[in-house]
Amino acid sequence: MNFRRLWKLSSRIYREISFQSLFSLRTGSSIPQSGRGNINQIIQSAQINALLSKILTTILIGFLGLAILLPLTSSISPTSLPREVALVGGISTFLAAVMFLVAFMGLQVATSLVSSKISDTLSPLPLTKRDISNIIFICFTRIFDIPLAAAVIVLLGAYFLAGGTILGGLVAFVGIIVTEVFALTLAVGLARFFYAKVMSGGGRSKWKVVQRAFFMLVWILPTFGSYFVMNFASQIFESSSMLAQNLSSTNPLVMLVYPFCFSTLISFATFPQEISLFSLGLAGIASVSYVALAAICLRWVTNAIRRIGSGGIAAVTREPVKDTLIKPQRAWLGIIHKDLRIASRAPSYASLFLLPTLQTVLLAISFSSFDGSSLTTALGALTGMSMVTLLLPPTLFSIEGLASAYTRSLPTTKRMLIFAKTFLSVIIYMSSLVALSAVTLFLGRDFTNVLVYGLIHMLSITAAILLELKILVNKFWKEGFAMGNIYARLSTFVLILIPAYVIAGAPLVVSFITLFVASKLAATALIVTEILEFTVMVIIAFHEKK
Amino acid sequence: MEQLAVQVERLVVNYGTFTAVENLSFQVRTGEVYGLLGPNGAGKTTTLKVLIGTLQPKAGKVEIFNTPLSDEVTVKSHIGYVPEEVVLLDSLTPREFLEFIASVRNIDRKSINLRIGKLTLAFQLTQYFDTPIAALSMGNKQKVAIIAALMHEPQLLILDEPLIGLDARSSRILKELINFQAKKGGAVIFSTHIMEVAEKLCNRVGIINKGKIVSEGTVEDLRKLVKSAEGSLEDIFLKVTEQEAGMQEIVKALEEE
Repeated sequence: MNFRRLWKLSSRIYREISFQSLFSLRTGSSIPQSGRGNINQIIQSAQINALLSKILTTILIGFLGLAILLPLTSSISPTSLPREVALVGGISTFLAAVMFLVAFMGLQVATSLVSSKISDTLSPLPLTKRDISNIIFICFTRIFDIPLAAAVIVLLGAYFLAGGTILGGLVAFVGIIVTEVFALTLAVGLARFFYAKVMSGGGRSKWKVVQRAFFMLVWILPTFGSYFVMNFASQIFESSSMLAQNLSSTNPLVMLVYPFCFSTLISFATFPQEISLFSLGLAGIASVSYVALAAICLRWVTNAIRRIGSGGIAAVTREPVKDTLIKPQRAWLGIIHKDLRIASRAPSYASLFLLPTLQTVLLAISFSSFDGSSLTTALGALTGMSMVTLLLPPTLFSIEGLASAYTRSLPTTKRMLIFAKTFLSVIIYMSSLVALSAVTLFLGRDFTNVLVYGLIHMLSITAAILLELKILVNKFWKEGFAMGNIYARLSTFVLILIPAYVIAGAPLVVSFITLFVASKLAATALIVTEILEFTVMVIIAFHEKK
Repeated sequence: MEQLAVQVERLVVNYGTFTAVENLSFQVRTGEVYGLLGPNGAGKTTTLKVLIGTLQPKAGKVEIFNTPLSDEVTVKSHIGYVPEEVVLLDSLTPREFLEFIASVRNIDRKSINLRIGKLTLAFQLTQYFDTPIAALSMGNKQKVAIIAALMHEPQLLILDEPLIGLDARSSRILKELINFQAKKGGAVIFSTHIMEVAEKLCNRVGIINKGKIVSEGTVEDLRKLVKSAEGSLEDIFLKVTEQEAGMQEIVKALEEE
């Protein structure tokens, strides 16, 4: 079959993949009751969603390019380092950032690709196996077309603006292509890993549970990698420049490491007299090896993606079942247990569950002046932590949207849901608090203020979470908790967050003000406001109809 | 004494401007197996979804054991439901899924384990008990949904095309369970396309077409009603849903191609 027909067929399939991901995840596999117009809206928003995801990644790549590469275009180096070293650091950071971003995007898509079971639809049609494989592969690459092209344009554009040479541009082009192939390999490799070890791997023994948790952590690595890169781009840039400078003088073997080999070659092509020939030789050998490795990876990715599309990787590892005993719990505990189990197997949920703790730790570490013993810093850190924690309840709530076409037939009560989700959110807040205290301790500072004020602030956080959930439950009880309902209207989402932030922020503001007016009463003011908010919200929540 | 398990009066359900169910009324008594028959898109699934509380009717009165749908927790506690398209929490295993359902339904641990043991054995699901639902075949997913619907011994079973995807053995067992449910005083309402099943299992059938009940009664009642239909329920069905007209000509035209 010629490429034009394959491309045309892949368009339909690509649209179906976008629709399936939206339909199962965001609508809970239930057709909205508002009729045909609404179904058309889902189809349309699936296409817009896919396009938005591409554009968003492209913007992020563009932003990173601006942040990392643009300073290199000025005649003065952005750091105190020589220009050739700054160029090595900048290009290395950009290549690493592109790798994590594309891999992260790929992970989200690969799961939809598996669940849509394309080959089931294509196999009965008069198409050869090769045609089917090609269509699936084209679909996969179409998902990345704009970001991949953008990464090449941004790197080459910035490089030539920085006064790059043709030879350097050629190496930069090879370097970014190799990076993109590695990113796709990482995405597909992890997706295979996820389906083989997490999704299809059953078993209830403790070892199996630990194994699944470990595999899940490995799977969400690119998520945190891209998150880390986005938050600390400039620090990474400086660190990698320093690393390049220090190691190249003490240990030239660093030139063998990706992505330094490519950036060293580019730097040499731009400022030839500044870099030693020995380093150049090492970088050249390493780069050629990475190109060869990328060629092997590309072949592997092509085959693997075809197998994913054919459902070939969903191998089930089955443990012998010893009994069929179950352990029913109290309803709210059952809901929490279910949420944790789902999160432990769905990377998107797992990363959101871990985000408050991770964000808190990263913030605490990155602020070198962080001093837990000071009340002002402790309250500041708690404010940041609270804001991230309060983003969680809508996500926890949207888990109820999964398979809601079925689960809505269960006798769940509003109060039961509010209680379960509040409890889980508070547990996540507490783990962030423990992490923050541990970091403060690790930095060799007094963690008493952080811990004590954090524990007191838990009352206010609970009140804010109760309020968020009460609004969410009352708003979406009738129309369903599907993610599409909750996140589709940004205004609704923001309107839920604002009062929650006000509740969580009020005691901290009161405490800050009191700190300046009558510092001795700051703690009392905080405690009183917290208790007041907590009591009022608990009374309101318990008045919720069963 | 017979009691009304389901009472539906002048039910109207809309999807936007499209009316899927229009002034539909029927009743199901305890001890009864009621079959809802109809062509594709007639409104069977929509009606059942209203009964289990996942769709909101535009108008009409619906009561389950004399309890209005607005008292949804009480109503849902009486019901065991098997959907037509089995969409469950795929990342959980059957054990975890049933544990979640049992928790929400507040079922006692001792009694539930005895019942689950029997049901998993009957439906030959034991070996898949710790396999993620995502990795199960459609038939096995259907079995998980059936066990989830039966495990709390509901008074009313609502089954939407329950036999599709089941193997012969499981299909037979489910039919026996449906009969047993009626014998012990519960009620069953199910939709099906398989006329033979409806003919053998149902005490009464309601034939639904374009969102309305066009005929209702026992198979014998329906035969009497449609004088010319001496054959099977399928013949009666085609007649009352007005699908018989022109069918011979269509088949002939297809054969001539």
